[in-house]
Amino acid sequence: MNAPRTKLKSNLPAQIDSTPEDMISLHGVVKTFSNAAGEFTVLKSVDLKINRGEFVSIVGKSGSGKSTLLNMVTGIDHPTDGLVVVNRTDIYTGVTESQRSKWRGKNLGIVFQFFQLLPMLTLLENVMLPMDYVDMYDFDERPARAMELLKLVGLEKFANKLPVLVSTGQQQLAAIARAMACDPPLLVADEPTGNLDSRTADTIIQLFESFVAQGKTIVMVTHDPSLTSRTHRNLIISDGELINESVSRALPQLRHRHMLEFTKLIQARAYHPHETILSREKHDDHFFIIRKGDVEVVLHDEQNREYALSDLRKDDFFGEAELTHSGKSIANVRAGNDPVEVVIISRADFIRVMNESPITAEAVGKTVQTKLETQRIADHRSK
Amino acid sequence: MSASLIELRNVSKTYSTAAGDFVALTNINLNVDAAEFLGIVGKSGAGKSTLLNMINGVDQLSDGEVIVNSDPSGKKISVHAMGEDERALWRGKNMGVVYQSFQLLPMLTLVENIMLPMDLSDNFHPRRSKERAMELLKLVELEEHANKLPAFISGGQQQRVAIARALANDPPILVADEPTGSLDSITADHIFDVFEHLVSEQGKTIIMVTHDMGLSNRFSRALTITDGELLDAELDLNLDKTFRRRK
Repeated sequence: MNAPRTKLKSNLPAQIDSTPEDMISLHGVVKTFSNAAGEFTVLKSVDLKINRGEFVSIVGKSGSGKSTLLNMVTGIDHPTDGLVVVNRTDIYTGVTESQRSKWRGKNLGIVFQFFQLLPMLTLLENVMLPMDYVDMYDFDERPARAMELLKLVGLEKFANKLPVLVSTGQQQLAAIARAMACDPPLLVADEPTGNLDSRTADTIIQLFESFVAQGKTIVMVTHDPSLTSRTHRNLIISDGELINESVSRALPQLRHRHMLEFTKLIQARAYHPHETILSREKHDDHFFIIRKGDVEVVLHDEQNREYALSDLRKDDFFGEAELTHSGKSIANVRAGNDPVEVVIISRADFIRVMNESPITAEAVGKTVQTKLETQRIADHRSK
Repeated sequence: MSASLIELRNVSKTYSTAAGDFVALTNINLNVDAAEFLGIVGKSGAGKSTLLNMINGVDQLSDGEVIVNSDPSGKKISVHAMGEDERALWRGKNMGVVYQSFQLLPMLTLVENIMLPMDLSDNFHPRRSKERAMELLKLVELEEHANKLPAFISGGQQQRVAIARALANDPPILVADEPTGSLDSITADHIFDVFEHLVSEQGKTIIMVTHDMGLSNRFSRALTITDGELLDAELDLNLDKTFRRRK
């Protein structure tokens, strides 16, 4: 069923590019499925780093590859090419299925939309199961630890009940307690609230937030925007590729396919502290999104005195006023006190996508109006 | 004539809620013979899952008796009179359970999923439990997938593995709550084929509840449950009531 794994890319560095802060790092991960109709590539060379202690959500349309991406991290599926390093372990190179299974038991908690509790075991016994499976904690300690976990999710009263006798929300809470049984540093959840009412979903996210506060890393696939707003990072996957996070944060109204188009078109630029990025004297036909650092937007009056118009931060954009009004830059833009990194998109590409995406064009238009208004007031003041 | 395998006598179940008492089952009388494939059909909320939970001892009845004659010594087992722990032990040996939504542990292979109940109950030596798990996978025609994780087989195949898992400790009785509820009709047919084989070839007794009236003709006997009461059951005991309801 799985496509046979080909040899790892020979041009990969011998030293894996993974720092101790990385909980997850994916390098050029490709997943191709073969079926009667031919080959289908679900993941197209995905690179990704997730730091320890991060709460990350992954969204994407049905079939975009989000569950396959999660299966690469959990070791449930195998990449066709590339490297997957989780908690400092390269989980595919030279690792047998049973070694991976043991590794998974100690390093990963997994929660699915449908809870997979064993129907013939009580909630307490279900929570003890992973401890038995990887032989963690003394035999006599296990019931007390399982009870503590049930208490944590508010189910201690139901510890001796079978799963059928509690609600679906309570079953999911028990499944989360089970996922945390061996105290894994990483929790992976695939649509953990997909089957639940909003109140229970909120309880689960609060629980996740408390795990993150304790230093756990959580990666969650979801389609629910009310959940993604509560995570540190939201990754969008479209057609097997991850969208650049600066693009998705700066222009959230864009359709995923347009975000992906920008992801492929963007170029990176870096500036020293106080270096000029845009000046009123020079044309620069690009749209800029700030990836790192702060930039200052400044005006000069006739005596060459400087007026700071505004400060822009990470994920803010600029350059659009010039693009959409086809005039000169309305102000000078320069790097702040720290180095600045931006990603840029050419004028032609930006205008083309804006023409196809009226909602984003409108949102960008409003930002432009606000900036022009600020500039008009400041200009007036400077005279 | 020997006694039935399962006997329910005047079984009632009432739940206490903040809004007052809720009667889920009223005075149920039912006999199930060995090697029957009994279907209990009813709408959502009719009490069919509650009835199943009385038979398998998952839930405690409010009134009445549940007697099971599955003990090889011929001893009658009063399920209603056992404590919770005792019931769990008894159930582990005597009943296999299959649900619509309880699937397999995603991190274990199919064969490991089936070995799990055997390992937990210590009924089989570990080497024997692997052999037996393979035999059961063969029974549900999935032996070639034994070392796959559940994510790589279809929903219908997963349910067949769940049935194999329910049979792990070789229970004489299998209870199934909407086992075909999330499957398409062709896949559901395969599940019925497995159940029919278990009844006719292995003499298992199967009690299955479903909301799907269209499945009634697949059972060796089908009963309807409405508002916590069984229709057509034990005509000799309930004739009047049944007659009144049908008029």
